[in-house]
Amino acid sequence: MALKEYDVIIVGGGITGAATVRDCALRGLSALLIERGDICDGASGRNHGLLHSGARYAVTDREGAEECIKENRILRRIASNCVEQTEGLFISLPEDGLDYQANFIKKCREAGIDAEAIDPAEALRMEPAINPRIIGAVKVPDASVDPFRLVDAHILDAQRHGADILKFTAVTELVKEGGRVVGVKTQKGDVIRAREVVLAAGIWTAGLAREAGVNIGMMPSKGALIIFGHRVAKMVINRCRKPANADILVPGDVVSVLGTTSDKVPIETCDDMHATPEEVELLLREGEQLVPCLAQTRIIRAYAGVRPLVVADPAGDGRNVSRGIVLLDHEERDGVPGLITITGGKLTTARLMAEMATDLICKKLGSSAKCETAVKPLPGSEGRKPRFKDPFNMRAAIGRHGNEVSQMDFKTGGEILCECESVTRAEIEYAVKNFGVRNISDLRRHTRIGMGTCQGSFCIKKIADVLADILKVPADELVKEYRQERWKGMTPVMWGDTLREAEYMQKTNKDEI
Amino acid sequence: MRFDVVIIGGGWAGCSAAEKLVEAGRKVCIVSEGLSLSAVKYDSPYARLAALQKQGAVVLRGDRAVCGKIEDGKVVEVRTRNQDEPLVADEYILATGKFFSRGLLSDKDHVWEPVFGADVDYDPDRTKWYDPDFDAPQPFMKFGVKTDAEGHVLVEGRAIVNLTAVGDIRND
Repeated sequence: MALKEYDVIIVGGGITGAATVRDCALRGLSALLIERGDICDGASGRNHGLLHSGARYAVTDREGAEECIKENRILRRIASNCVEQTEGLFISLPEDGLDYQANFIKKCREAGIDAEAIDPAEALRMEPAINPRIIGAVKVPDASVDPFRLVDAHILDAQRHGADILKFTAVTELVKEGGRVVGVKTQKGDVIRAREVVLAAGIWTAGLAREAGVNIGMMPSKGALIIFGHRVAKMVINRCRKPANADILVPGDVVSVLGTTSDKVPIETCDDMHATPEEVELLLREGEQLVPCLAQTRIIRAYAGVRPLVVADPAGDGRNVSRGIVLLDHEERDGVPGLITITGGKLTTARLMAEMATDLICKKLGSSAKCETAVKPLPGSEGRKPRFKDPFNMRAAIGRHGNEVSQMDFKTGGEILCECESVTRAEIEYAVKNFGVRNISDLRRHTRIGMGTCQGSFCIKKIADVLADILKVPADELVKEYRQERWKGMTPVMWGDTLREAEYMQKTNKDEI
Repeated sequence: MRFDVVIIGGGWAGCSAAEKLVEAGRKVCIVSEGLSLSAVKYDSPYARLAALQKQGAVVLRGDRAVCGKIEDGKVVEVRTRNQDEPLVADEYILATGKFFSRGLLSDKDHVWEPVFGADVDYDPDRTKWYDPDFDAPQPFMKFGVKTDAEGHVLVEGRAIVNLTAVGDIRND
C-alpha cells in the first residue's frame, strides 16, 4: 500500500501532539498525527484540568511561572470555550505561617502574575467551604480548563487545515535510513515516511526514542486524583506553601477534582494507571485541610496519570525535577537527523511547546511560516458564543462545544441520552463523525457522556443501544467495556455513597435482585 | 402506636412478609423509606404497599426507622424520623436491604446496621470489599447482618428473639 509522504509525523495524541499538529497545519506543512489509542488517552486526560496562573511555580521556578501566565492569558482568548474563568485562591493555614505568603506574593509579581492578598474574612465570604482556620489568602488568575475539549479543539482545527489524524494505531518503530529517521512503522506493518518525525508521546517517548538509538532520561511521576460529585468551591483552591500532596482543588463542570500525589513509578506500570486505596487516604487527609466538607462530599471516582518528567538525576520524588519544557533536536544532540522530541511541560504550556517544536521543524524544512496559534481562536471559541436563548436540550451542548453546535443536528438528535451531563444524540453523532470512537469510553472523552454523578448507571444501556446502532457492534459488549472502566475508578473509593452506587450498578447490570 | 408486627423496609422482602401476616389477620405496620431496589427486577413495590394499606396495614411512606430499643434480648420499641410516638409490637422484621436502601451504612473502615446496631458480617480490610473485575462476584454484595438458625438478628453476639431479618439485609 503506497502511503503519502508527509512533511512531519507527530507521534502522540495528547495535548502536546495535538497542539503541534495544529501548529504545523496552520503553517502549511503536511502533517500526520499518529496515536496508539484515543485522543487524550494518557496524561492529557488524567489531570486536574487546571489552567495554571503560574503562581504555584513562582517561588521555585520563575521561568515556568512566566510561561504559565503568558499561556494562561492566551488560552483564555483562543480557547474561551474550554476555559472557565474561575480565578484561584492560595490559602495559608496556621501551620503554613505567613512568611511563605509574603515571599509568594513578591515572586508572583516578579513573574508578572497578579497576586492580591485578601483578608481571611473576605476570603471566607467568597468561598465559605474553605478551612475556617485560614490566616491568609491570595487571589491569583488560575482557571479551570476542560482538557478533553481543549485537545479535541486542536485536533479539529488541525484536520480543517489539512492534517491527517490516525488513531488506534501504535508506532512500533522509527524507520532509519543511513542514520536518518525517515518515518515510522505502524503495528499494521505500514511504513509512513516523513521529512521530520516528532515524538510527543509523553512518558512513552523514551521507549520509542531508545529504539532509534537515542537515550532520553525520563522519570514517570504518578499523580493520583479524586473527583467529588459536587462543586464545593467556585474558585481553584490552593495551599499557600511549598508544593505538596493534595493541595489543589479545581472546580470543573459540575464536579471538583482534588489532587495530586507525586510518586516515582516503574515505567512498566504506566500503561495501567489507577489510584490506590493508600493514595486515596492521603488525598482525603490533606484535602480536608483545604476544604473540610470534602469529608462528607460524595466521591465519584479516583484516577491517576503520569507526568513525563525529564531528568538528569533519576533519584528523588519527582517534585523537584524540572517540569519545564524539553525540546530535543536529536540531530544536534545525538547525531540522529530527522527526529525531534518535545516533552515535559504542562497542559497550560502545551501551545508554547508546540510553537517551539514547530519553529524547529520549520527551520529543518526551510520554511519561514510564522506561528499563528497564539492569536487564532480554536474551533468552538471563534466569534461570539451563542446566547442561551436556545432550547433547553442545546444549552449544555453550547457550553461544551460553543459555536460547533452549528455542526450538530438537534432537529433529529435532540433527545437527551445522558441526563447527568445533558448529552444529546446529536452530540454523539457529531463525536462519532469527527473523532471516530470504538466504544463508550472513547465517546465519553468527546462528549462527557457517563461522566456525571451517575457514572452511566442510569443511561448506559440507552447510550449503548444508540452507539451500537451507529457502529454496528453488539450493545452488550459496549456496556461491558464501560462498566469495567468505571469500576476501576470506583473501587479505590468504594464506601459510603460510592458503595451505594456500586450496589446499584451491580444489580442493574445483572438485572436481578 | 401498637401493632402485632412492625416491618422495617417496604421493598420486595418487606412486602412479601407483610402480605403473609396481613392474610393471617395480624395488625402490621410497614416503615417504607422508598429506597428499594426491588423495581430493578420486580414490579415497583408501591402497588403492593397500596394493596396492603387497603387490607388494613399501616404504611409509613417516606419514613425511616432511626433507632430500635432493645431490653433483655428483645426489641421493645422502634423510633422513626417522622412519628412522635415510638412503634411498639410483639414482633419486628428487619427488611431494609443493603447499601443502596441504607439498610447498611459504611465509611472507609466500617460497615454497620443503623437501626439496631446489629452484628454485621464484613471484612475489616476495605480492599477486600470488591473484586477489580466488575463481572466477578462482589464480596460486598454478601455483607449483611448475622442471624441465628431461626433468622433472629444478632446484636453483640446475642440473638434478639423478636427481631427477624429477611431479604438482602441478611449476610447470605
